Amino acid sequence: MSEHITFWYGCNVLRHGDIIHACLDILRALGYEPEPVGGVDYCCGTVKDANQTAAGGMATRTVGKLNARAAPVVVWCPSCHSHMHDFMARTNDRHFDMTYVVELLHAKRERLGPLLVRELPMRVFVHQHIGFNDLVPVNRMVPELLRLIPGVEVVEADYVAPGYMCASFAAIPRALEDINNNTARSARAAGADAVVTVFHQCYRELVGLDAAGAIPVYNYIHLIARAMGLAYEDEYKAWKRAGEGAAALIGAERIAKVGIQFYERAILPELKKRPKLQKSDPGS
Amino acid sequence: MSARAPIGQRLKEFEEREIERILGACTRCGKCYEVCPMAQYSKAPASDSKAVVGGVHAVLRGAAGTPEALGWIGVCTRSGVCVPACPENVDPKMMMRLARMTALGGRGLPAQLPVKEDPDYFDRVRAFARLQLSDDELKDWT
Ligand code: SF4
Repeated sequence: MSEHITFWYGCNVLRHGDIIHACLDILRALGYEPEPVGGVDYCCGTVKDANQTAAGGMATRTVGKLNARAAPVVVWCPSCHSHMHDFMARTNDRHFDMTYVVELLHAKRERLGPLLVRELPMRVFVHQHIGFNDLVPVNRMVPELLRLIPGVEVVEADYVAPGYMCASFAAIPRALEDINNNTARSARAAGADAVVTVFHQCYRELVGLDAAGAIPVYNYIHLIARAMGLAYEDEYKAWKRAGEGAAALIGAERIAKVGIQFYERAILPELKKRPKLQKSDPGS
Repeated sequence: MSARAPIGQRLKEFEEREIERILGACTRCGKCYEVCPMAQYSKAPASDSKAVVGGVHAVLRGAAGTPEALGWIGVCTRSGVCVPACPENVDPKMMMRLARMTALGGRGLPAQLPVKEDPDYFDRVRAFARLQLSDDELKDWT
């Protein structure tokens, strides 16, 4: 009998429906029955550093909702996972076991390996951060997972970015510029033909390198899914590459769901944003 | 009827206990600042690592932080290199997070760093959910 789990995906990965859908299929293939939950109503509160009353309320609400599901929780988002570890579980009564998704996939790699049947001949550079790795050693585990895919070669990374994920650098543009440039430069210097991110927060930022023509970028789930024959389309990447033209890909019906004014004010600028690359980079 | 604790009360009490612990354990040796890979991005890089930690303590106590301390707090992105570097097992990553919350006014004290909250943050999450999930998934998953 398959084991019921709650797949707590978080908030901002909702940009990448393909990642959420692929994770669910991968978890099912490993013998789980995942029930996905996320979005604003399951926010961990980590973004509310400037309002601890709100952060505390959100944490209590979300721990309560996860408790009520009475199933082990598998977490996608590194921010949710570390906030649960550092604050939520220390200030609320948590009644569920919790695992980070990379940890679970790594623990099940003997079962996962035979499912990765499609060959993907590529040399990949895994984009790593210094942080979070102390909580879950993703910088070792993700390359080990990728090496299960026939044809994938993981090059040695000689650059590890500061922080724990790229999105938290939004307010420090000089550091984000360094991360973009150092990632592209190190990947190329190592002979990689693609950059692979661990977290969606890094994917969202670094897919700009792809859109700028510097180097192809994927999330590790994209490659695992492709190797399993799962054919979810990475719409976010297509929209990002299209920039101004993304509306035509999204279609009028879907844009109407969010409102054209909101789309133009709050979504389009993100899709048009490109990293500042130094002169030696072809995408600059 | 049982009295319910005010919203966020346990979190605030936890943070106060942590601040007390940190202020009691930290010797201001400055090693956490010295190893920090983000210090170079501070608006006011410090030459005296001991003094910058003193400024962080001031923020935690609710007093005014020095420009160097606020500059460091403003660029902390949780690399965590400071944690094993600390000889007193203080958990400087927690120290900096609490200092950040305090400096942003999150603990009820006057803000010392500009709060740059994105007003569209949660609406953008909802919008992407509508773009990426089916109506049934929206109903059942969010
Ligand atoms: S937190 Fe630790 S490393 Fe930093 S100044 Fe205090 S004792 Fe030294």
